[in-house]
Amino acid sequence: MAHTNSSFCGSPDHGVSRRGFLGTTVFAGATAFAANMRVMDALKNPCLAAELKRQQKSVILLWLGGGASQFETWDPKPGRLTGGPFRAISTDVPSVQISELLPKMAQRLKTTAIIRSLNTRNADHGGGTRLMETGRAMEQAVDYPDLGALIARELGRVDSQVPDYVSMYSETEGRHKGGAGFLGARYAPTFLTESMIPPNIRRPDSMTEIDHQERADLQKLLAKRFADKRYDPSVASHGMAYERVRGIMASEKLFDINLEPQSARDFYGPTQFQEQCLISRRLVEAGVPFVKVARAWWDSHGQNFETHLELCADLDQGMSALLDDLQQRGLLESTLVITLAEFGRTPHINASLGRDHFASAWSCTLSGCGIKGGAVYGKTDEDGQKVVDGEMKSGDLFATIFEALGIDHKKEYQLGARPIPIVDFGAKPAMEILA
Amino acid sequence: MNLVRDLLTLSIGLALATRLHAADLIAPELPIEQAVDHYVQTHLAERQVHPAPLADDGTLVRRTVLDLQGRIPTIAEAKKYIESTEPDKRLKLVDSLLASPDFSYQFRNQLDDLLMSGQKGNQNEWREYLLKSVRQNRTWDQMFRDMLIGNEEDPETKAATTFVRVRAKELDELTNETSTIFFGVNVSCAKCHDHPLVDDWKQDHYFGLASFFQRTYVTKKNVVAEKFTGEVKFKTTKGEDKVARLMFLTGTTVEEPVIEVSAEDRKKQDEEVKKQTQNDKAGPAPKPPFSPRAKLVEIALQSGNDQLFARAIVNRVWAMFLGRGLVHPLDQMHSGNSASHPELLDWLARDLISHKYDLQRLVRGIVLSQAYARSSEWSGSTASPAADLFAVALIRPLSPRQYSMSLRMASAAPETYKPESGGEEWPKRRDELERNCEGFAHQFEQPSENFQVGVDEALLFSNSSQVADDYLRDSSDRLIGAIRPETDKAKQITIAYWAAFTRPPSGEELAACEQFLDKRTEPVAGLRQMVWALLTSPELRFNH
Repeated sequence: MAHTNSSFCGSPDHGVSRRGFLGTTVFAGATAFAANMRVMDALKNPCLAAELKRQQKSVILLWLGGGASQFETWDPKPGRLTGGPFRAISTDVPSVQISELLPKMAQRLKTTAIIRSLNTRNADHGGGTRLMETGRAMEQAVDYPDLGALIARELGRVDSQVPDYVSMYSETEGRHKGGAGFLGARYAPTFLTESMIPPNIRRPDSMTEIDHQERADLQKLLAKRFADKRYDPSVASHGMAYERVRGIMASEKLFDINLEPQSARDFYGPTQFQEQCLISRRLVEAGVPFVKVARAWWDSHGQNFETHLELCADLDQGMSALLDDLQQRGLLESTLVITLAEFGRTPHINASLGRDHFASAWSCTLSGCGIKGGAVYGKTDEDGQKVVDGEMKSGDLFATIFEALGIDHKKEYQLGARPIPIVDFGAKPAMEILA
Repeated sequence: MNLVRDLLTLSIGLALATRLHAADLIAPELPIEQAVDHYVQTHLAERQVHPAPLADDGTLVRRTVLDLQGRIPTIAEAKKYIESTEPDKRLKLVDSLLASPDFSYQFRNQLDDLLMSGQKGNQNEWREYLLKSVRQNRTWDQMFRDMLIGNEEDPETKAATTFVRVRAKELDELTNETSTIFFGVNVSCAKCHDHPLVDDWKQDHYFGLASFFQRTYVTKKNVVAEKFTGEVKFKTTKGEDKVARLMFLTGTTVEEPVIEVSAEDRKKQDEEVKKQTQNDKAGPAPKPPFSPRAKLVEIALQSGNDQLFARAIVNRVWAMFLGRGLVHPLDQMHSGNSASHPELLDWLARDLISHKYDLQRLVRGIVLSQAYARSSEWSGSTASPAADLFAVALIRPLSPRQYSMSLRMASAAPETYKPESGGEEWPKRRDELERNCEGFAHQFEQPSENFQVGVDEALLFSNSSQVADDYLRDSSDRLIGAIRPETDKAKQITIAYWAAFTRPPSGEELAACEQFLDKRTEPVAGLRQMVWALLTSPELRFNH
């Protein structure tokens, strides 16, 4: 067990207290989050500047739970038997067309790259979800973290007083907490399901603010006696968790959209998804590095077209408002917005006018930070049956996401004796769509 | 396949070859605790490391009760031990804890966490089976037989085969979890390729082990059964198609006896199996004359091959009580990852085999050792010694159940629980306690390597009504209700410290708490806040 600590640069010259960091025994190199004021002092160190800059980036993942159809969104096949009833429309990028169900996004494709060549091979909800959440197939030997935990780990700000992985999943279809796997509970999501604010974030009514604070101060004082003589990272994580409570509680207001002017709320729209898009902007603006907004019920085995008519309108409005808002605030260049699901939907239209699960040729999008807007990566055949160019697996998508954020996709974590690459073996980023 | 560096070095043959000869080990008749201390001390002396002193009585009784009873001690239990002047009080304590009803619950829970962690679903019968096994001190090899090939017609062993039943759908999971849990070897990496550095670890080993499970299936009536035929085919890294031989991890192979079956009979067999998987009114599942799973159990327990089985459980039991395996991580027992104390591991494995896999005897020996009893505080001027020296006690997070039960007891009025009273009353109360604490236990993470406490846990304690209205209630059955009538603040604080930490407060702590209480305008609210600060201490969250 290494009891001496690491610093941001990995240089012993400016070591920070062991208690300032967590996981130094687990991971070589930097571990990024605040512990106490001693760490804050470390921020004055010039070597941290570059690190911090990278850390100001954020990700908003719009998760289309159940599996959205690529035909009715990003890869239309008008006029083909597989194409369905909807038209393709022109966009603000000459030569690129998308489904007419996304008219607002069609006017904002300059912010966005479309990937049309996902071939992920797992068309099962559970397995597909794990695969697209972690960027790799399940393996018995290792409990892999999901994208949110990886981003929290990589981009979590040193001086953060806010949660670093927020996941909003109000609908029940495909609801899944995900998790930090071997990175540890420090990177687990703040998970919102029934309520629009995180659980246990609000002080009990029976207590005054000052009592709550002084009680925490007493706890800290008494705990210190125990922790000081015991050199153990798990004990340190306990102190760290309690130290973060005040900051997290203060971030409650970030979840309250009543604090937004009516004009902003109108701009995003009234649906739950659209409101959560607005919350995600508030969170990102406050420094939360990863926010997931799930919008479920895309699993349209029956009535695929009616389903998409409704859901695409919701997505189109929420997503385009989010991109506009981020852009106006100067946040889009540091925020990567992703649309993704566990898989896409079949070219074949079944007897119930539905489309079934399909993982061999489907689409997702990346907008904003580090992305070459208007780019289209990969191609499917004329009926959307298979990928004919630029096949991309889940690991390749993850490599692309990391590179867009300035995170080296060849980075490795050290898990015991075993180095674990941040993306799946052999995964490569799609350089063509990176800015 | 560029997994080269990521592979575990899996060389069982080598690991066995480099083991010391039995003759080099110290005498087999020695008590386990003496062997442990001999090897651990020698190791320290060779490195000139002075270990931490033994923990004081209060710390030790707390640690031992947490480990052997799954909860903190009551004040009365602890004081009885601390105040005793008998020279063999520790021995007596350990023996009485092992004989108590609480031990069977706790050791059951430990085995459950080992065998079923990560598996979902209501497993009451399974947990009952484990409880009964611990009560009867069923030997580990017998439990292994029960779990892998238990008779499906006997309700008791049918509960044991839950181990296979919940994993039978996924061949990889069944193969790898059997291997990591019972043999300490994580073979999953060898699925995709031979080990590039060690010649004797091949894909053949992975698929060889999987072959023993290939025919296993679960019928519509939820019975574990085996098919008449079925083999594992795989593609080698060179791209050839290959049929795996039944091969144990040590390289021992099995030839399936050839039984002539007509095509017509074969077809009938296949139809019967199909019926079993589809029809919940089918008769008893057919039993093929050859059972690969039974063969695996037979081979794994054969003299020579049994080293893997014995060493894996020794290592796991050691880690349960010392916080780290002799081989670490626990699923990587191979030649590239040698034990910190190889002779000790050998000695303990030999001892376990010669005492017929009596786990409770092993537990007793480990808990009686000095290595177990050291202080977890390191106050020397040098850096804390490496964990694998066992020179200072390692801190272990409580399991969710231990934590939930300990919170319940720490926040109760001191006389509420009386495990020391004996009689018929306590076992019932313990059973209740176990059940009542289940719900809150689900809020916590199961300890694992690199365990961290997340902010969700801290928020739960800080703001949930569950904590405020239950643990911090001021009714007479709770700690706060019990100390409230006391007029002397120092007494209130002292009782609370004993209840939560099994010790009195230090002068500084007493002063800090008194000062805190003095500032409160509402005395009861003040007590609740102070008790909260104790309940949320790392001193209660971890076994130290």
